Amino acid sequence: MSTAVVTTAPTTGPVTPARSRHRRGAMRWVILGVITVGGIAMMIPFVIMLLNAFKSPQEYSNAGPLTLPTDLYFDGLINFWNRVDYPEKLWNSIVISGTVAVAATLVSLLNAYALGIGRVRGRLWLVGLFMLANMIPQESLVYPLYFMAKQVGLYNSIWAVVIIFTVIQSAFGTYLLASVLGTFPPALLEAARLDGASRWTILWRVVYPITRPTLSVLMIFFFIWTWNEFYIPLVMLIDNSSQTIPVALAALQGDRLMDVPTINAGSLISLLPAVLFFLIFQRTLTRGITAGAVK
Amino acid sequence: MRTTPTRLAALTGAVALAAGLTACSGSDDGGGGDGGTADATSLKLWHYESPNGAMGIAWAEAIKVFEEEHPGVTIEFEEKSFEQIQQTAGMILSSDEGPDIMEYNKGNATTGLLSSQGLLTDITAVADERGWTDMLSPSLATTAQYDESGVMGSGNWFGIPNYGEFVTVYYNKAMFEDAGLEVPTSLDEMVEVMDTFVAEGVTPLGMAGAEYPAGQLFYQLTLSQVDRQWITDYQMFTGPVDWQGPELTFGAETFAEWVDAGYVASDSASLKAEDMGVAFINGTYPMMVSGSWWYGRLVDEIDGFEWGVFNFPGNTFNAGSSGNLWVVPTNSKAPELAYDFIDITMRPEIQAILGNNGGLPVAADPADITDAKSQELITAFNEVLENDGLAFYPDWPVPGFYDVIVNSVQKLINGSAEPATVLDELGAAYDQGVANAG
Amino acid sequence: MSTTATTTLPRIRGEVSYWAYLVPGGALFLAIIVLPFVMNIYFSLTRWPGLGDPTFIGLENYVRLFQDEVFWTSFRNSIAMIVAMVVVPTLLGLLLAAVLFDYIGKKFSGSVSSGLRAVYYLPQILPVTVVGILWSWILNPQTGALNVVLRSLGLDGMALNWLGSTDTALPSVMAVMVWVQVGYPVVIFMSALQRVDPELYEAAELDGAGWFTRFRAITLPQIKPETFVVTLTCTIAALKVFGPIYVLTRGGPENSTNVPSYFAYQNFFPKSQVGYGAAIATVLTVIVLLVAAIFMVLQARSERKEAEGR
Repeated sequence: MSTAVVTTAPTTGPVTPARSRHRRGAMRWVILGVITVGGIAMMIPFVIMLLNAFKSPQEYSNAGPLTLPTDLYFDGLINFWNRVDYPEKLWNSIVISGTVAVAATLVSLLNAYALGIGRVRGRLWLVGLFMLANMIPQESLVYPLYFMAKQVGLYNSIWAVVIIFTVIQSAFGTYLLASVLGTFPPALLEAARLDGASRWTILWRVVYPITRPTLSVLMIFFFIWTWNEFYIPLVMLIDNSSQTIPVALAALQGDRLMDVPTINAGSLISLLPAVLFFLIFQRTLTRGITAGAVK
Repeated sequence: MRTTPTRLAALTGAVALAAGLTACSGSDDGGGGDGGTADATSLKLWHYESPNGAMGIAWAEAIKVFEEEHPGVTIEFEEKSFEQIQQTAGMILSSDEGPDIMEYNKGNATTGLLSSQGLLTDITAVADERGWTDMLSPSLATTAQYDESGVMGSGNWFGIPNYGEFVTVYYNKAMFEDAGLEVPTSLDEMVEVMDTFVAEGVTPLGMAGAEYPAGQLFYQLTLSQVDRQWITDYQMFTGPVDWQGPELTFGAETFAEWVDAGYVASDSASLKAEDMGVAFINGTYPMMVSGSWWYGRLVDEIDGFEWGVFNFPGNTFNAGSSGNLWVVPTNSKAPELAYDFIDITMRPEIQAILGNNGGLPVAADPADITDAKSQELITAFNEVLENDGLAFYPDWPVPGFYDVIVNSVQKLINGSAEPATVLDELGAAYDQGVANAG
Repeated sequence: MSTTATTTLPRIRGEVSYWAYLVPGGALFLAIIVLPFVMNIYFSLTRWPGLGDPTFIGLENYVRLFQDEVFWTSFRNSIAMIVAMVVVPTLLGLLLAAVLFDYIGKKFSGSVSSGLRAVYYLPQILPVTVVGILWSWILNPQTGALNVVLRSLGLDGMALNWLGSTDTALPSVMAVMVWVQVGYPVVIFMSALQRVDPELYEAAELDGAGWFTRFRAITLPQIKPETFVVTLTCTIAALKVFGPIYVLTRGGPENSTNVPSYFAYQNFFPKSQVGYGAAIATVLTVIVLLVAAIFMVLQARSERKEAEGR
């Protein structure tokens, strides 16, 4: 891939007929249709969720989950919103997920630079070691982390959650980035070096721009994964004022009874910011720069 | 840009910080509050009942009364989730971040465990002094007292319940009328009622095999054959339990028979309690054997037919216990205020609010219960109490027994194992649990 | 290692070693992961209800674990999870990504392919509790959407007890997991496909290579890093899966869908046997480590071949 592929794009010859042969043709519609049907099938559970998010509890119990609500019922959602102070939870979730997304991506980049491009000795084992963070079940981390957090005074603080997830998510990020950077064309690095750049400069001037698509993927994943995390925030965030949305949603589920329509409504509104984030950042995914086209 | 010594220093600093973090791990368990003073100006109060349920409403009123009677003191109330308290109570109470008073689940695995670790205040003296011990009948008091190893039934008082709960039979009056049926008063009559429904193509009993309802039905059937001593042996290990004995065999075999006869849907192994409740509400099943915790929701959501409750026919003993307890953590910074609050919740006015909103008060004056529907439930409950009939729950004796019961009873529903085999499995897990507890 | 014995970009004066870049991540990692894991191993050698002092009992927990039938069942079920969360989503995801990127993106527009990508990724954003509720509604044997539709089509015989029968519970859970998981490879592979130099494709096209040949000869080798990452991370996720099992079946019916993580959970909290739970977690981690090590070695070998080929 690094060797320059010299292509002589044919400027002669009829280009249009080939293009029009691609443009027309039922095949593309068929394929689009198949994929879209698949997409619709994927969305069916979401439709059901929508049906129930604005249904009154009476109607839900009597008519079942698969019917359209006869009236739009917002009381459950409004009560929930006020009860858990949803804006506060939303803010906590955004702060935690956003900080983790940025911090973990940064840490991943630094790690992957050393491992993928620097090729420090034993790098594969190091990557594996970092991945340990993803392999260990969270339950087994919880007691030790609780003790440590208490010692440092970070128990019941969102920073404990931020730090923990930065580590856990950056394990994946290190692995993905190191793998991708492992195939980074050395020619580019050497060229920059010839221009007198230091490793630090090379990192930010050469490597960073090219890996933007991968970094975007990491930011999206980290944000969404942290957004939905439940267990560690449950353990670390005691005061209601510091809790995140998934923890707040748990209040709708009691020992033996659960408030299903409100769970649906609450999940729907907590889904929206994450989906929004995805749609916004998705655009950066498509602004890709291929590794071969630089300078 | 050249790497300067500054950057190197920063990096080294980061390492030092991390090293400092890792060096500091010890086994310190939260500093102890020394019992607070009457000068405390706030009371941190946690509970996890929903605000429109009976307890939520009654306790909101209690909070108001408290603040009126204690000018200058505010209650910092936080509604928690059951899940969080269940999983992390030990950790929270071992730190400084815990509340001054909170609702907590009754039972060996919860209040028993925490009390045996010294995380809960022993309130025996206070309870005597303020008369709470007199207000609670013996079977309700069982779940408020725990010994040094955390087993309920004897020892010091660690919590006070405001309400009770028990398992009864909800029935759809309209469907009964249509079928020309009366409320059964014995197990045989119950079987006749169910036969009639089956003959009409209706499955008589709602069931949920993936959660607690299946185990509770099995327990109710067993309880029809037992005496008080058996229950004490089962729950508090005062004597051995024969898992192949007549009582449990009756329970398992009858359950299997009921599945075969079509009284219980044979495909209900994966259904959750929520599914069962919803099915009763929309009139699919004429009966549902489950707990008083459904009552408030049924009142709100059932329209289109009359419904009521009757106690499990023929049983003196029924699953049930006191409700959750108010406990005062050892680290509480305002225990005196906490006791005042508990006192308020036990007053007739607050108990009446609880009773009139679908809850089961422990110390209400019957004259105060004005809501007709609530009276029905409370009368049924009192009937059980008069017979000293609360038998707690089948999964209580041994930690983790809940999963074993669910698993085993699923086999009865699916017909994939004989009752005797199922009882063997249950017995093995029970015995192992008892051995570990000792 | 690469063909050159020294690291890329040998140091110039005053420059920090590459190791310095690993310090922030490494320090955090030590504190947050290594230390707790070591403590976890210590707990696994004790009996401890989570409060008070642990009692040292040596390897007793491990002995008990290896004799526990449910433990072995849960690992068998892990294999099923691997099929449902690795094999199928990776293959399907790769296919979808290729079609969306190469075909739909070009024949229609980038927005259409982005939109469809978002649709396939949506299940990944949904909280696990809701996944459980929604799919329980769909798979309810009496009132669920699936059986209602089947019955209305006259296919009563196919309206099975999806999550309640030991025969169909595991396959049903597997199907739900495919739905949940497929969006992840789609997103990663689509970003990987952007890395590929389009000139390579054009050259091949000129040589008369069809879509599939191009796919096999150019695309697949180019996106090898991401392929490794996807398969390894999905495998780890499959070995660790907990949430969906908890919300759909609670490990039942009759332990037919019990998986190691759920088994660990049953022993950690409800049973207050933190020591035993820690032993399970340790064994699980070791297994995951072994699987990961195998992957990594394969990946390293493939990278070496690449580097030598340059």
